[in-house]
Amino acid sequence: MTSYSNQTSSAARFTSFLRNYYIYFVLVAVVVLLSTANLDQFALFERGNFLYKRNIINILRVSAPLLVMAGAFTLLMVSGYIDLSVGSAMSLSAVVYAMLAINGVPFIPAFALTVLVGVLLGAVNGFLVVRLNITPVIATLITLSLFKGVALLLVQDGVSAIKSGNFLKIPGWFNDYGRAKVLFDLPAAFWVAVAVTLALIVVQNRGKLGKYAAATGGNPTAAKLSGINTGRTVFLLYVIVGASAALAGIARSSFMSLGDPLSGDGMELTAILVVLLGGTAFSGGEGKVLRSFVGALIIMMLTVGMLTIVPAYYQTLVIGSALLAAAASNHLVSRKGKES
Amino acid sequence: MSSLTENIPQSLQREKMSDEGFITSLVVIVAVALFLLASLLVPNFFQWQNVVNLVTNNWAVISLGIFVSFLLVSGNFDLSVGGIVALSGVLSVWFAQSPDGANALSSGLGMPYPLAILCALIGALAIGAMNALFVVRLGIPSIIVTLGTMMVARGIAQVITQGSQRNTNLPDEFGFLGNLTMFGTSVKLPVVLMLLLFLVAVFVERKMVFGRITYWIGANPEAATLSGINRSWHITKLYLFSAAVAGMVGILLASEFKSGFSNRGTLMEFDALVIALLGGIAITGGFGSVIGMFFGAIILAVVTSAATGMVLSPDWQFILKAIAVFLAIVTQTWAVARRNR
Repeated sequence: MTSYSNQTSSAARFTSFLRNYYIYFVLVAVVVLLSTANLDQFALFERGNFLYKRNIINILRVSAPLLVMAGAFTLLMVSGYIDLSVGSAMSLSAVVYAMLAINGVPFIPAFALTVLVGVLLGAVNGFLVVRLNITPVIATLITLSLFKGVALLLVQDGVSAIKSGNFLKIPGWFNDYGRAKVLFDLPAAFWVAVAVTLALIVVQNRGKLGKYAAATGGNPTAAKLSGINTGRTVFLLYVIVGASAALAGIARSSFMSLGDPLSGDGMELTAILVVLLGGTAFSGGEGKVLRSFVGALIIMMLTVGMLTIVPAYYQTLVIGSALLAAAASNHLVSRKGKES
Repeated sequence: MSSLTENIPQSLQREKMSDEGFITSLVVIVAVALFLLASLLVPNFFQWQNVVNLVTNNWAVISLGIFVSFLLVSGNFDLSVGGIVALSGVLSVWFAQSPDGANALSSGLGMPYPLAILCALIGALAIGAMNALFVVRLGIPSIIVTLGTMMVARGIAQVITQGSQRNTNLPDEFGFLGNLTMFGTSVKLPVVLMLLLFLVAVFVERKMVFGRITYWIGANPEAATLSGINRSWHITKLYLFSAAVAGMVGILLASEFKSGFSNRGTLMEFDALVIALLGGIAITGGFGSVIGMFFGAIILAVVTSAATGMVLSPDWQFILKAIAVFLAIVTQTWAVARRNR
């Protein structure tokens, strides 16, 4: 689609280049900035060097929940839809996973069941949006409240989260998934995120689903008229987002060693921020999974890096400003591309 | 069509009620029905004082809901109001605190209270102007913009209060406005302001050009522009009014509790949206009424207070909200479709 118009002028080619690759420049800029900033006096960045191995590993394993969601969320936004319930779905999955584990279910069944729960949550969203035709924002706002409520109800009164108590203990294997070193000193959760992202990149570039998603987001009517079952595409995307939210919940609860019903709060905003930062148009139709993955890395580096420079109470302000800035720059770049 | 008209009584047949009036009356009927149902199920629910409480306890959300509803009618979201409530409250405290406090959190700028309120309102308006700038000038979807400005507003409040609250070293008159009781009853000034605002909003919405333009814009933005309506300026005004009301709510809440708390108003933006949706305001724009919003708030209040009365855990409120909005949207869509079949 874009390749036609981009051959017309060098200015247009430059805009397109900027749109496709700016995220990598931002990544390099952030790494350089954080590496050169003098962080000697802070404990988290050892020896004041951002590029120190343990620091990088720490950031990557904390990022696992966001990384695993970024790809699926991108595909959903490419199709022109949105899911505000991912944070709640993540919390609910974290609680379910911890409950299964604490009641003696072994790792693999607990993992599979939790992903199944995520699939169900995604299906609920898909049902509301596709079958009942409720506006995506409203439908997922309803499920945001619903999933959060269920997560809070699952945790006993008077306790803030599912954790080891007097009678039930969280088993020893519980935080292996989020912490134990598997490959290059990184935990399984991180590699699952990478695998999911790779799979979604293949889906986007080679698979029917990727093409259908872009077609649905670009022009729903045209997509329908050319025989694409847009309803089924969107439903499937919601299910994938639900499953990835469950993976994120598992990663988070494994890393924290507890099932916290509030652990995913605000995650929907971070996910939107990451996808917008990756240059996905919110009107749908374009966007790349890999770029959102890089966007997620940038956001995690900034938030973790920022904690060492300024107090934690600056976080909301910075994330909010970043969201506005990403939305504005994203919009300006994509508008320039269309005008040319 | 013919089978439908047979069932409608004579009085309605002459001038068919609009869909909007139909949905709004439906909301009112549901609110009353739910109240009666709750009275049967919950002991001591059926009391005049309880009716008063249902309204007075929700003055903040209803006030916010007024312009959230106007914006929804015009086809735009405003999710920044909760953040503005926190920001203006914190600002009013910070401006009014005397500068000689013992530590950073107890010393402010030492302005006289009226000036502090004014400056806090200007701060709230700045967020509203930011909403308008991004939504109107840059054409970015309002849901993303207002979520961003909500975080920015709350973020500034958190920075000023260092993540907690400011409540010391305040002048005596600071707690006056929020706790002023009116007409010799226990009804406080904020509630009276909310009711006044609501009545004005109903009048503006029904009878004034400003209100009708809002509906035109929501129903068909392009037709509105082509018929000479300055759409950008109108939406800008709506965002500014919404921010001003949210600022007022924040200042009154800060005054009521004599503190500026950076987490005050959390989730209020969602509640304001929820009551507007419960009240039958359609997100597609151009449809709905503040009257519906008001009774939407009553529905939510009845449901949550009845649930508490029936000794459900407070965690149930999220699920109840979800179910209420879901049912409201599904039945309203169904009712309008069936009516116009």
